[in-house]
Amino acid sequence: MDTLSYLGQGFGVALSPYNLVTALTGTLIGTVVGLLPGLGPINGVALLIPIAFALGLPPESALILLAAVYLGCEYGGRISSILLNIPGEASTVMTTLDGYPMARQGLAGVALSLSAWSSFIGALIATCGMVLFAPLLAKWAIAFGPAEYFVLMVFAIVALGGMAGDKPLKTFIAALIGLFLSAVGIDANSGVYRFTGDNVHLADGIQFVVLVLGLFSISEILLLLEKTHHGHVAVKATGRMLFNMKEAASVFVVNIRCGLLGFFMGVLPGAGATLASAVAYMTEKRMAGDKGKFGKGDLRGLAAPETAIGASCCGALVPMLTLGVPGSGTTAVMIGALTLYNITPGPLLFQQQPDIVWGLIASLFIANIMLVILNIPMIRIFTRILAVPNWALVPVIAIITAIGVYAVHATTFDLFLMVGIGIMGYILRKLDFPLSPILLGFILGGLMEQNLRRALSISNGELGILWSSPISMSTWALVVVMLALPLLRIWRRRSARQRALADA
Amino acid sequence: MILQRLFALVLLAVCAALAVMAWPYQAAFSYEPVGPRAYPLLMLGLMSLGLLYLAIRPTPIVHKEDEPQLDRESLIKIAACVGLLIVLAATFESLGFILSAILVGLPMARLYGGRWLPGAIVVVGMSIFLYWLFDRVMDVPLPLGLLSALEN
Repeated sequence: MDTLSYLGQGFGVALSPYNLVTALTGTLIGTVVGLLPGLGPINGVALLIPIAFALGLPPESALILLAAVYLGCEYGGRISSILLNIPGEASTVMTTLDGYPMARQGLAGVALSLSAWSSFIGALIATCGMVLFAPLLAKWAIAFGPAEYFVLMVFAIVALGGMAGDKPLKTFIAALIGLFLSAVGIDANSGVYRFTGDNVHLADGIQFVVLVLGLFSISEILLLLEKTHHGHVAVKATGRMLFNMKEAASVFVVNIRCGLLGFFMGVLPGAGATLASAVAYMTEKRMAGDKGKFGKGDLRGLAAPETAIGASCCGALVPMLTLGVPGSGTTAVMIGALTLYNITPGPLLFQQQPDIVWGLIASLFIANIMLVILNIPMIRIFTRILAVPNWALVPVIAIITAIGVYAVHATTFDLFLMVGIGIMGYILRKLDFPLSPILLGFILGGLMEQNLRRALSISNGELGILWSSPISMSTWALVVVMLALPLLRIWRRRSARQRALADA
Repeated sequence: MILQRLFALVLLAVCAALAVMAWPYQAAFSYEPVGPRAYPLLMLGLMSLGLLYLAIRPTPIVHKEDEPQLDRESLIKIAACVGLLIVLAATFESLGFILSAILVGLPMARLYGGRWLPGAIVVVGMSIFLYWLFDRVMDVPLPLGLLSALEN
């Protein structure tokens, strides 16, 4: 009952006119940012952090803005994958498989609105799951001491590699780069300057916004440069803009199933939207069997990944809010934003600042409804944005990125650092390293070191404290499972190949 | 493959250099058993292990369909783009936001295949608009640089 009254209170916060306008602005900005090639939810949220701060928004409004931008970006990414067959990011690859054929058949408007609807249902299921489970998890998480937190973070990092699938080693190295980068700057416990090379500007570490924008925006600008020769023509969105009841009913079961799946995947650290959408699509395809027209414009093939993405995005907020451990790149950015406001996400957040938590949860509901409604009148305008050529777009992205970086500290050193990080990010991308583990590592790194040192201070240097409690023991067991997963996958692939050879 | 090995080895060397750099980090006086040195060394050590494996057995890079092979022309363009970004960083404060944005934005628009006139219109208009939007409306202070003489 407590939960419901808190939720009501949250709706009170989110439905205040000021916050409603904030959410609407956020969804609009987010959709446009998500639409543009080269900008995704991570950049969108990161760019807005300094701006939200400079605008002097109260923390709950800032958080609502960021959440709305997050959801808006996801929606915007959908538009480019359905109309252009270009997935804005890894998670929407599955959307293109059936969304683009649908658009080619003249059902672009239906595909877009149906995907927004599916994502809304997914988010709804996940938000309900969040309402049910987050307070429980938060209550349970209070039992976590520094040692348990340390192990939990080890688990989050290892889970990234275990879930990522095809390249666990590279994911692992990327996460370690992030973990290491978090150690740059003055050490809070002892006052020792680490890896600063006597540079004043590095004394308080690498700024999070600089890292994010360098890694994602600058490297993307360089990647876009390779693709300028290739023109893409968007499919015109004509005809019906909204799906009808029959279409919605035909995918309703898929929505429910994939929503639950997506929520579960979102809560797991490291799994996130990419894996959730892939698993959802594959499962539905297998369940439909030969009767489905998967890959040729099947409604279910569009609804399944979209529901899963919507659900996992909201699910990813659960570990972030309750444990303070982000599960995805974007939630890592949101933690960065929260720390700017001096809010430490974690179990105590639910007790100390219920307004923020429940206001955020309620605004997720509202932002999702807004996105469905926005789809009908705005889609023509959004499709026009897709026609903006790269030569006009890239300078704007570069300059806005520079503003975002400059806004943090007002030093040009950060701009140089951003370019350096951007080049590094570009090289890493060309070598097929995933970038978001770097961000997760960077966010987790500081916490991890603090908790490790705190735990060992408690035990006076005795390492045994790291596996003395039942919670940490079971988390270690999960770590082992996650480490074993990629090995198991390699082994299975190898034995499958041998079997194929034997058959031949 | 060869690039990947090279990258792993270079990063390995960087790790080693950073580890040497981290070696003298010791707190002058301390109340805790773990000093400031342990955590970075642990991370560098783990990273080195991973990189060593990568150097010995590089994983094949999967190329996406829409990703063209890097040729000489693209590499020159990328170097030019990086150069422009560095110029932006270097002139951001001295020239001021508007001028440096125009100085860098225009060649960048050319680099991405725009023509001079439309590029100039977009870049100039956008620099002034963004300055107004961020500095005046949203309270994100941006340097005015040379143009500050025009103020008042």
